[in-house]
Amino acid sequence: MEAIEHPPIFHLPGMPDHVTYTWLVMIILAGIAFMATRRLELVPRGMQNAMEVVLEQFQLTIEDVMGPAGRPYLPLIATFGLFIFTANLMSLVPGLTGPTTNLNTTAACALIVFFTYHAVGVRKQGVVNYLKHFMGPVWWLAWLMMPIEIISHLARPLSLTLRLFGNMVGGHILLAVIFFLMGLQGLIGWALSGSVVGALVGGVGAAVTIAFTVGFLYPLKLLVSFLQAFIFVMLTMLYISGAIAEADHGHGAEHHDAGHH
Amino acid sequence: MRRSSMLGALFVLAFPGLALAADAPAAGGWLAPFTVIAAAIGMAIAAGLCGLGQGRAVAAAVEAMARQPGAAARIQLAMIIGLALIESLAIYTLVIALILLFVKGINFA
Repeated sequence: MEAIEHPPIFHLPGMPDHVTYTWLVMIILAGIAFMATRRLELVPRGMQNAMEVVLEQFQLTIEDVMGPAGRPYLPLIATFGLFIFTANLMSLVPGLTGPTTNLNTTAACALIVFFTYHAVGVRKQGVVNYLKHFMGPVWWLAWLMMPIEIISHLARPLSLTLRLFGNMVGGHILLAVIFFLMGLQGLIGWALSGSVVGALVGGVGAAVTIAFTVGFLYPLKLLVSFLQAFIFVMLTMLYISGAIAEADHGHGAEHHDAGHH
Repeated sequence: MRRSSMLGALFVLAFPGLALAADAPAAGGWLAPFTVIAAAIGMAIAAGLCGLGQGRAVAAAVEAMARQPGAAARIQLAMIIGLALIESLAIYTLVIALILLFVKGINFA
Protein backbone atom coordinates (compact mmCIF):
# COMPACT_ATOMS: atom_id res chain seq x y z
CA MET A 1 0.00 0.00 0.00
CA GLU A 2 2.98 2.28 0.42
CA ALA A 3 3.07 2.63 -3.34
CA ILE A 4 0.14 5.00 -3.57
CA GLU A 5 -0.45 6.22 -0.04
CA HIS A 6 1.34 9.14 1.45
CA PRO A 7 2.83 8.26 4.82
CA PRO A 8 1.15 10.04 7.73
CA ILE A 9 2.49 13.39 8.82
CA PHE A 10 3.34 12.43 12.38
CA HIS A 11 5.58 9.39 12.71
CA LEU A 12 7.15 8.03 15.87
CA PRO A 13 10.55 6.55 15.06
CA GLY A 14 10.75 2.81 15.48
CA MET A 15 7.01 2.45 15.95
CA PRO A 16 4.50 1.17 13.39
CA ASP A 17 2.05 3.86 12.35
CA HIS A 18 -1.08 1.94 13.25
CA VAL A 19 0.16 1.52 16.82
CA THR A 20 0.91 5.25 17.09
CA TYR A 21 -2.54 6.14 15.86
CA THR A 22 -4.19 3.52 18.05
CA TRP A 23 -2.61 5.40 20.97
CA LEU A 24 -4.03 8.62 19.55
CA VAL A 25 -7.50 7.03 19.44
CA MET A 26 -7.02 5.87 23.04
CA ILE A 27 -6.00 9.39 24.11
CA ILE A 28 -9.05 10.89 22.38
CA LEU A 29 -11.47 8.39 23.91
CA ALA A 30 -9.92 8.63 27.36
CA GLY A 31 -10.05 12.42 27.15
CA ILE A 32 -13.70 12.36 26.18
CA ALA A 33 -14.46 9.92 28.99
CA PHE A 34 -12.55 12.09 31.46
CA MET A 35 -14.36 15.23 30.36
CA ALA A 36 -17.71 13.47 30.55
CA THR A 37 -17.20 12.03 34.02
CA ARG A 38 -15.24 14.85 35.64
CA ARG A 39 -18.26 16.42 37.29
CA LEU A 40 -21.09 13.93 37.28
CA GLU A 41 -24.44 15.55 37.79
CA LEU A 42 -27.91 14.18 38.22
CA VAL A 43 -29.16 16.42 35.42
CA PRO A 44 -26.43 15.98 32.81
CA ARG A 45 -25.12 18.85 30.74
CA GLY A 46 -22.62 19.17 27.94
CA MET A 47 -20.25 16.28 27.36
CA GLN A 48 -21.85 14.09 30.01
CA ASN A 49 -25.20 14.51 28.29
CA ALA A 50 -23.80 13.61 24.88
CA MET A 51 -21.99 10.51 26.10
CA GLU A 52 -25.07 9.38 28.03
CA VAL A 53 -27.09 9.57 24.82
CA VAL A 54 -24.47 7.50 22.97
CA LEU A 55 -24.27 4.83 25.66
CA GLU A 56 -28.05 4.71 25.96
CA GLN A 57 -28.21 3.94 22.26
CA PHE A 58 -25.73 1.10 22.78
CA GLN A 59 -27.78 -0.20 25.68
CA LEU A 60 -31.04 -0.03 23.73
CA THR A 61 -29.50 -1.89 20.79
CA ILE A 62 -28.11 -4.56 23.10
CA GLU A 63 -31.48 -5.03 24.80
CA ASP A 64 -33.11 -5.20 21.38
CA VAL A 65 -30.75 -7.85 20.03
CA MET A 66 -29.65 -9.87 23.06
CA GLY A 67 -32.39 -9.22 25.57
CA PRO A 68 -31.65 -8.60 29.25
CA ALA A 69 -28.94 -11.29 29.18
CA GLY A 70 -26.75 -8.94 27.16
CA ARG A 71 -26.46 -6.34 29.89
CA PRO A 72 -23.08 -7.52 31.29
CA TYR A 73 -21.47 -7.18 27.88
CA LEU A 74 -22.23 -3.47 27.48
CA PRO A 75 -18.68 -2.36 28.40
CA LEU A 76 -17.05 -4.67 25.85
CA ILE A 77 -19.48 -3.90 23.07
CA ALA A 78 -19.58 -0.14 23.63
CA THR A 79 -15.79 -0.02 23.78
CA PHE A 80 -15.55 -1.85 20.48
CA GLY A 81 -18.10 0.47 18.90
CA LEU A 82 -16.46 3.68 20.10
CA PHE A 83 -12.94 2.51 19.30
CA ILE A 84 -13.72 1.28 15.80
CA PHE A 85 -15.84 4.31 14.94
CA THR A 86 -13.17 6.75 16.13
CA ALA A 87 -10.46 4.80 14.31
CA ASN A 88 -12.53 4.77 11.12
CA LEU A 89 -13.12 8.52 11.35
CA MET A 90 -9.43 9.09 11.86
CA SER A 91 -8.62 7.63 8.46
CA LEU A 92 -10.79 10.37 6.93
CA VAL A 93 -8.54 13.14 8.21
CA PRO A 94 -5.87 13.95 5.63
CA GLY A 95 -2.42 13.45 7.05
CA LEU A 96 -3.48 10.92 9.65
CA THR A 97 -3.85 7.21 9.20
CA GLY A 98 -6.64 5.11 10.58
CA PRO A 99 -5.63 2.16 12.76
CA THR A 100 -8.38 0.10 11.12
CA THR A 101 -6.69 0.39 7.73
CA ASN A 102 -4.09 -2.03 9.08
CA LEU A 103 -4.87 -5.72 9.18
CA ASN A 104 -3.26 -6.18 12.60
CA THR A 105 -5.68 -3.84 14.38
CA THR A 106 -8.81 -5.43 12.94
CA ALA A 107 -7.44 -8.93 13.52
CA ALA A 108 -6.81 -8.05 17.16
CA CYS A 109 -10.40 -6.85 17.57
CA ALA A 110 -11.80 -9.93 15.85
CA LEU A 111 -9.69 -12.30 17.94
CA ILE A 112 -10.90 -10.62 21.13
CA VAL A 113 -14.47 -11.21 19.97
CA PHE A 114 -13.68 -14.83 19.04
CA PHE A 115 -12.15 -15.76 22.39
CA THR A 116 -14.74 -13.76 24.32
CA TYR A 117 -17.77 -15.50 22.92
CA HIS A 118 -16.24 -18.94 23.34
CA ALA A 119 -15.26 -18.10 26.92
CA VAL A 120 -18.76 -16.80 27.61
CA GLY A 121 -20.31 -19.94 26.14
CA VAL A 122 -18.06 -22.24 28.16
CA ARG A 123 -18.64 -20.29 31.35
CA LYS A 124 -22.41 -20.20 30.92
CA GLN A 125 -22.96 -23.86 30.14
CA GLY A 126 -19.79 -25.80 30.88
CA VAL A 127 -17.27 -27.33 28.52
CA VAL A 128 -19.19 -30.52 27.71
CA ASN A 129 -22.49 -28.84 27.02
CA TYR A 130 -20.84 -26.18 24.93
CA LEU A 131 -18.95 -28.74 22.86
CA LYS A 132 -22.15 -30.72 22.44
CA HIS A 133 -23.54 -27.77 20.52
CA PHE A 134 -20.99 -28.37 17.78
CA MET A 135 -22.38 -31.85 17.17
CA GLY A 136 -25.51 -30.72 15.40
CA PRO A 137 -29.12 -31.68 16.03
CA VAL A 138 -28.89 -35.49 15.86
CA TRP A 139 -26.13 -37.77 17.04
CA TRP A 140 -25.63 -39.75 13.82
CA LEU A 141 -24.84 -36.54 11.93
CA ALA A 142 -22.17 -35.46 14.41
CA TRP A 143 -19.27 -36.68 12.27
CA LEU A 144 -20.49 -34.39 9.49
CA MET A 145 -21.55 -31.42 11.62
CA MET A 146 -18.40 -31.20 13.69
CA PRO A 147 -16.00 -30.12 10.90
CA ILE A 148 -18.62 -27.85 9.36
CA GLU A 149 -19.28 -26.10 12.67
CA ILE A 150 -15.58 -25.75 13.44
CA ILE A 151 -14.86 -24.24 10.04
CA SER A 152 -17.85 -21.94 10.37
CA HIS A 153 -16.65 -20.74 13.76
CA LEU A 154 -13.11 -20.26 12.50
CA ALA A 155 -14.44 -18.24 9.57
CA ARG A 156 -16.09 -15.76 11.92
CA PRO A 157 -12.96 -13.90 13.07
CA LEU A 158 -11.61 -14.06 9.53
CA SER A 159 -14.70 -12.43 8.09
CA LEU A 160 -14.85 -9.84 10.90
CA THR A 161 -11.22 -8.94 10.24
CA LEU A 162 -11.39 -8.78 6.48
CA ARG A 163 -14.73 -6.95 6.32
CA LEU A 164 -13.59 -4.02 8.44
CA PHE A 165 -10.10 -3.94 6.91
CA GLY A 166 -11.30 -4.25 3.31
CA ASN A 167 -13.95 -1.57 3.64
CA MET A 168 -11.57 0.89 5.23
CA VAL A 169 -8.66 0.21 2.88
CA GLY A 170 -10.93 0.27 -0.17
CA GLY A 171 -12.18 3.73 0.71
CA HIS A 172 -8.68 4.84 1.59
CA ILE A 173 -7.31 3.77 -1.79
CA LEU A 174 -10.22 5.44 -3.53
CA LEU A 175 -9.41 8.75 -1.82
CA ALA A 176 -5.69 8.28 -2.54
CA VAL A 177 -6.39 7.77 -6.24
CA ILE A 178 -8.59 10.86 -6.32
CA PHE A 179 -5.89 12.92 -4.64
CA PHE A 180 -3.39 11.64 -7.19
CA LEU A 181 -5.78 12.64 -9.94
CA MET A 182 -5.89 16.12 -8.42
CA GLY A 183 -2.20 16.72 -7.79
CA LEU A 184 0.47 18.74 -9.56
CA GLN A 185 0.93 15.95 -12.10
CA GLY A 186 -2.83 15.67 -12.56
CA LEU A 187 -5.69 18.07 -13.05
CA ILE A 188 -4.26 20.98 -11.06
CA GLY A 189 -0.95 20.65 -12.84
CA TRP A 190 -2.85 20.70 -16.10
CA ALA A 191 -4.72 23.81 -15.06
CA LEU A 192 -1.46 25.57 -14.17
CA SER A 193 0.39 24.39 -17.28
CA GLY A 194 -0.14 27.69 -19.12
CA SER A 195 -2.08 26.58 -22.17
CA VAL A 196 -5.66 27.76 -22.57
CA VAL A 197 -7.12 24.31 -23.24
CA GLY A 198 -5.24 22.88 -20.29
CA ALA A 199 -6.50 25.63 -18.04
CA LEU A 200 -10.09 25.09 -19.21
CA VAL A 201 -10.10 21.29 -18.96
CA GLY A 202 -7.95 21.10 -15.88
CA GLY A 203 -9.78 23.87 -14.05
CA VAL A 204 -13.24 22.49 -14.77
CA GLY A 205 -12.09 18.94 -14.05
CA ALA A 206 -10.49 19.97 -10.78
CA ALA A 207 -13.63 21.86 -9.70
CA VAL A 208 -15.86 18.90 -10.58
CA THR A 209 -13.57 16.44 -8.79
CA ILE A 210 -13.40 18.59 -5.66
CA ALA A 211 -17.18 18.97 -5.63
CA PHE A 212 -17.60 15.21 -6.14
CA THR A 213 -15.15 14.37 -3.37
CA VAL A 214 -16.48 16.83 -0.81
CA GLY A 215 -20.14 16.42 -1.71
CA PHE A 216 -20.33 12.68 -2.29
CA LEU A 217 -17.25 10.66 -1.37
CA TYR A 218 -16.66 12.11 2.08
CA PRO A 219 -20.29 11.72 3.21
CA LEU A 220 -20.22 8.20 1.78
CA LYS A 221 -17.09 7.39 3.75
CA LEU A 222 -18.65 8.84 6.89
CA LEU A 223 -21.62 6.53 6.36
CA VAL A 224 -19.37 3.54 5.73
CA SER A 225 -17.32 4.34 8.84
CA PHE A 226 -20.43 4.34 10.98
CA LEU A 227 -21.93 1.31 9.26
CA GLN A 228 -18.82 -0.85 9.61
CA ALA A 229 -18.50 -0.03 13.32
CA PHE A 230 -22.21 -0.81 13.72
CA ILE A 231 -21.92 -4.11 11.85
CA PHE A 232 -18.88 -5.20 13.85
CA VAL A 233 -20.71 -4.46 17.08
CA MET A 234 -23.90 -6.09 15.83
CA LEU A 235 -22.13 -9.31 14.85
CA THR A 236 -20.35 -9.33 18.21
CA MET A 237 -23.72 -9.16 19.91
CA LEU A 238 -25.10 -11.96 17.74
CA TYR A 239 -22.13 -14.22 18.42
CA ILE A 240 -22.25 -13.67 22.18
CA SER A 241 -26.00 -14.12 22.33
CA GLY A 242 -25.64 -17.27 20.23
CA ALA A 243 -23.13 -18.64 22.73
CA ILE A 244 -25.44 -17.78 25.64
CA ALA A 245 -28.76 -18.79 24.12
CA GLU A 246 -27.78 -22.37 23.45
CA ALA A 247 -28.08 -23.06 27.15
CA ASP A 248 -31.75 -22.11 27.14
CA HIS A 249 -33.01 -23.40 23.83
CA GLY A 250 -30.84 -26.43 23.24
CA HIS A 251 -30.43 -26.95 19.54
CA GLY A 252 -33.18 -24.70 18.32
CA ALA A 253 -33.28 -23.14 14.89
CA GLU A 254 -32.77 -19.74 16.48
CA HIS A 255 -29.02 -19.65 16.80
CA HIS A 256 -28.54 -21.14 13.39
CA ASP A 257 -29.82 -18.19 11.46
CA ALA A 258 -28.09 -15.82 13.83
CA GLY A 259 -24.54 -16.82 13.18
CA HIS A 260 -24.13 -18.63 9.91
CA HIS A 261 -22.99 -17.09 6.72
CA MET B 1 -17.75 -12.46 -34.79
CA ARG B 2 -17.52 -14.67 -31.76
CA ARG B 3 -14.20 -16.09 -32.83
CA SER B 4 -12.73 -12.67 -33.50
CA SER B 5 -13.79 -11.39 -30.08
CA MET B 6 -12.28 -14.45 -28.47
CA LEU B 7 -9.10 -13.87 -30.43
CA GLY B 8 -9.13 -10.26 -29.26
CA ALA B 9 -9.54 -11.32 -25.66
CA LEU B 10 -6.72 -13.82 -26.08
CA PHE B 11 -4.53 -11.08 -27.53
CA VAL B 12 -5.32 -8.73 -24.65
CA LEU B 13 -4.49 -11.46 -22.16
CA ALA B 14 -1.34 -12.45 -24.02
CA PHE B 15 -0.11 -8.92 -24.60
CA PRO B 16 1.62 -8.27 -21.26
CA GLY B 17 3.52 -11.50 -21.69
CA LEU B 18 4.59 -10.53 -25.19
CA ALA B 19 5.51 -7.03 -24.14
CA LEU B 20 7.47 -8.35 -21.25
CA ALA B 21 9.25 -10.91 -23.37
CA ALA B 22 10.74 -8.02 -25.33
CA ASP B 23 11.83 -6.10 -22.25
CA ALA B 24 14.09 -7.12 -19.44
CA PRO B 25 12.36 -9.52 -17.03
CA ALA B 26 10.68 -7.59 -14.23
CA ALA B 27 10.53 -8.64 -10.60
CA GLY B 28 8.05 -11.45 -10.10
CA GLY B 29 8.72 -13.24 -13.36
CA TRP B 30 6.54 -13.42 -16.44
CA LEU B 31 3.38 -13.88 -14.34
CA ALA B 32 3.61 -10.46 -12.69
CA PRO B 33 1.68 -8.47 -15.35
CA PHE B 34 -1.06 -11.07 -15.37
CA THR B 35 -1.67 -10.51 -11.67
CA VAL B 36 -2.84 -6.98 -12.48
CA ILE B 37 -5.32 -8.31 -15.03
CA ALA B 38 -6.41 -11.03 -12.64
CA ALA B 39 -7.00 -8.48 -9.88
CA ALA B 40 -9.03 -6.22 -12.17
CA ILE B 41 -11.16 -8.99 -13.70
CA GLY B 42 -11.72 -10.67 -10.35
CA MET B 43 -12.76 -7.42 -8.72
CA ALA B 44 -15.08 -6.62 -11.62
CA ILE B 45 -16.85 -9.98 -11.42
CA ALA B 46 -17.08 -9.81 -7.64
CA ALA B 47 -18.43 -6.24 -7.66
CA GLY B 48 -21.02 -7.01 -10.31
CA LEU B 49 -22.35 -10.15 -8.69
CA CYS B 50 -22.25 -8.54 -5.26
CA GLY B 51 -24.33 -5.70 -6.67
CA LEU B 52 -26.87 -8.17 -8.03
CA GLY B 53 -27.11 -9.99 -4.71
CA GLN B 54 -27.39 -6.83 -2.65
CA GLY B 55 -29.99 -5.48 -5.06
CA ARG B 56 -32.16 -8.55 -4.52
CA ALA B 57 -31.78 -8.26 -0.76
CA VAL B 58 -32.59 -4.55 -0.66
CA ALA B 59 -35.54 -4.99 -3.02
CA ALA B 60 -37.06 -7.66 -0.79
CA ALA B 61 -36.42 -5.60 2.33
CA VAL B 62 -37.95 -2.43 0.88
CA GLU B 63 -40.97 -4.39 -0.29
CA ALA B 64 -41.40 -5.84 3.18
CA MET B 65 -41.01 -2.42 4.75
CA ALA B 66 -43.62 -0.93 2.44
CA ARG B 67 -46.02 -3.73 3.32
CA GLN B 68 -45.36 -3.61 7.06
CA PRO B 69 -44.22 -0.11 8.05
CA GLY B 70 -44.53 -1.01 11.72
CA ALA B 71 -41.76 -3.59 11.44
CA ALA B 72 -39.49 -1.29 9.45
CA ALA B 73 -36.85 -0.97 12.16
CA ARG B 74 -36.34 -4.70 12.59
CA ILE B 75 -36.39 -5.34 8.84
CA GLN B 76 -33.81 -2.62 8.38
CA LEU B 77 -31.59 -4.19 11.01
CA ALA B 78 -31.79 -7.60 9.37
CA MET B 79 -31.18 -6.03 5.98
CA ILE B 80 -28.04 -4.25 7.16
CA ILE B 81 -26.63 -7.43 8.69
CA GLY B 82 -27.44 -9.38 5.53
CA LEU B 83 -25.87 -6.71 3.35
CA ALA B 84 -22.72 -6.84 5.47
CA LEU B 85 -22.49 -10.59 5.07
CA ILE B 86 -23.02 -10.37 1.30
CA GLU B 87 -20.61 -7.51 0.97
CA SER B 88 -17.90 -9.35 2.86
CA LEU B 89 -17.66 -11.82 -0.03
CA ALA B 90 -16.77 -8.99 -2.39
CA ILE B 91 -14.40 -7.66 0.25
CA TYR B 92 -12.56 -10.99 0.25
CA THR B 93 -11.98 -10.51 -3.47
CA LEU B 94 -10.82 -6.95 -2.82
CA VAL B 95 -8.31 -8.21 -0.27
CA ILE B 96 -7.03 -10.81 -2.72
CA ALA B 97 -6.77 -8.12 -5.40
CA LEU B 98 -4.82 -5.92 -3.00
CA ILE B 99 -2.52 -8.82 -2.19
CA LEU B 100 -1.94 -9.43 -5.88
CA LEU B 101 -1.27 -5.76 -6.54
CA PHE B 102 0.75 -4.68 -3.55
CA VAL B 103 2.33 -7.58 -1.70
CA LYS B 104 5.88 -7.87 -2.98
CA GLY B 105 6.78 -11.06 -1.19
CA ILE B 106 4.79 -13.38 -3.43
CA ASN B 107 7.18 -15.16 -5.74
CA PHE B 108 5.49 -16.54 -8.84
CA ALA B 109 8.57 -17.81 -10.54
